[in-house]
Amino acid sequence: MRRFAFVVRGVAWRSIHNTIVSPSIIIPSIVFPLFFFAAFAGGLSKIAQVPNFDYKPGYTAFQFTFVFLQSAAFGGVFTGFAVARDFDSGFARRLLLSAPARGGIIVGYVIGALLRWGITGSVVTVVALASGMNVPAGPGDLFALLALGVLFNLVAALWAVGLAMFLRTEQAGAVIQMPVFVVLFLAPVYVPLHLLTGWVHSVARLNPATFALEAARGLLAGTPTDIALAFGLLGGSIVLWAAFARRGLRSAERAAG
Amino acid sequence: MPDGEAIVASGLVRQFRKGPRAVDGIDLSVSYGEIYGFLGPNGAGKSTTVHMLTTLLPPTSGQASVAGFDIVHQGRQVRTVIGAALQEAALDPILTGREHLLLQATLQGLPKPKRVQRADELLTRVGLTEAADRRISGYSGGMKRRLDLALALVHGPRILFLDEPTTGLDLQSRTALWEEVARLAREEGITVFLTTQYLEEADALAHRVGIIDHGHIVAEDTPERLKAEIGSPTVEVVPVEHDQAELLRGTLEQFGTPVSADGTVTVQLPGGEAQLAELVRALDAASLHVASLTLHQPTLDDVFLAKTGRKLEGAADEEPEEAPADGGKRGRRGR
Repeated sequence: MRRFAFVVRGVAWRSIHNTIVSPSIIIPSIVFPLFFFAAFAGGLSKIAQVPNFDYKPGYTAFQFTFVFLQSAAFGGVFTGFAVARDFDSGFARRLLLSAPARGGIIVGYVIGALLRWGITGSVVTVVALASGMNVPAGPGDLFALLALGVLFNLVAALWAVGLAMFLRTEQAGAVIQMPVFVVLFLAPVYVPLHLLTGWVHSVARLNPATFALEAARGLLAGTPTDIALAFGLLGGSIVLWAAFARRGLRSAERAAG
Repeated sequence: MPDGEAIVASGLVRQFRKGPRAVDGIDLSVSYGEIYGFLGPNGAGKSTTVHMLTTLLPPTSGQASVAGFDIVHQGRQVRTVIGAALQEAALDPILTGREHLLLQATLQGLPKPKRVQRADELLTRVGLTEAADRRISGYSGGMKRRLDLALALVHGPRILFLDEPTTGLDLQSRTALWEEVARLAREEGITVFLTTQYLEEADALAHRVGIIDHGHIVAEDTPERLKAEIGSPTVEVVPVEHDQAELLRGTLEQFGTPVSADGTVTVQLPGGEAQLAELVRALDAASLHVASLTLHQPTLDDVFLAKTGRKLEGAADEEPEEAPADGGKRGRRGR
């Protein structure tokens, strides 16, 4: 267990070190969610005047929850890119060779993703608060919202790290990102779920991201709804994608990195 | 010294998907403290063997143990007792040399004070103290190789795997690395498993050499015995006066059948180098003045030629390169 912890620490340290010292890594992670926040919360703010738009804290808060979770997901996706890059450069082979407990490599990357999101999530939150976002939530609700973001980040990171370990090439970037993008944007991003119609509504109703997003919006509004369901779904997803990442590692081990 | 052998392999096979058997039933036994040279052309199966022994690649069949630990079932234990510098020194261009060493020491579970101390120690030993806090992107190929060796040594491994450690290095860097490898075995008792395609490297460093071709070990012994097995040394004599070539030839006939070419007369010494003194006395008795006299021992290239029917130099051009480990996704490895 001690050796496992050392591997986790080493891999996570490198991940966050490279994120901080390399602008090409950290800037996209910050710019993406800020761009979406500015474009949606600013450009689409009139949506709040649509009949039956009933989110009390307003459209900025409505969009913030999406961008908050989106930044969490992208923190995981960008970590998947870093893993794929490590396989292309051969550095992953060094990790496989140097780490007595290889499972620690996955956990290290995932913790790196979480720390990376710590930076982008903070920036997004500060910008949202500075732009006058209304926050009716109490401390407990905010803590639960943060926990929801953490779990969302873990799900995305495990998916991205696992897939990167299966594919082992930087060219896998699109394959890693696209499903996350699709799942996120097939949730009720611009308007509440009950205002969606047709197939988009049908898909959004079943989309697991919808449950997380609705729960996040409820928490920010101080009126939590279906929290247990959202946490349960995310917890189940973590178990599923952790097993997937473990299989990815096995695949990389079989292929000599 | 621990009991048993440092490295033991029995019937080790690795077959790649839709590919040939890169390693085809290798048996190996390397003692503690020994430098074992694994010599062969590109694509012979050297790197694949190292990847299996370092737990990077599972064997298709056969067994092997490193420091008494099974490479398949006790990979974790194997990785704690070995150090390895693979063919491509895969380093992170964003990290500095010192950060690499600290990271490697963390992965291997060294406590923090020890990590810092060990990093300083190794940076000094490989001559990278001044470049220690520079990013790797600014390092030369030789500096990367030296750092790679330091990384392999960070946790004080008992067994060191070096996969073509001097490929691409200039003569000075190569000699320095040879000296360090020899010192590690001599002074620290580290077992070294070294793959190379350079005959002089195997000859200079290895206590024993295994020659691998098409995934098989075709010969294995000390370099001296391998060469002795092939035949006796030859002597090349150049007379001062060209017109004495015939007299020289006649004098050397008592040792064997002399061959003349470009004013040089060459003869094989069936009794080995011990006959050299006798030959010099014969030249003196015949009042022959020689411009040069050179004793040529058989080389490992002669051994490779005798065992495979091909010269080691250029042998790789005649065979397919080693299949990539992931079934064809990555590019072919260049020489």
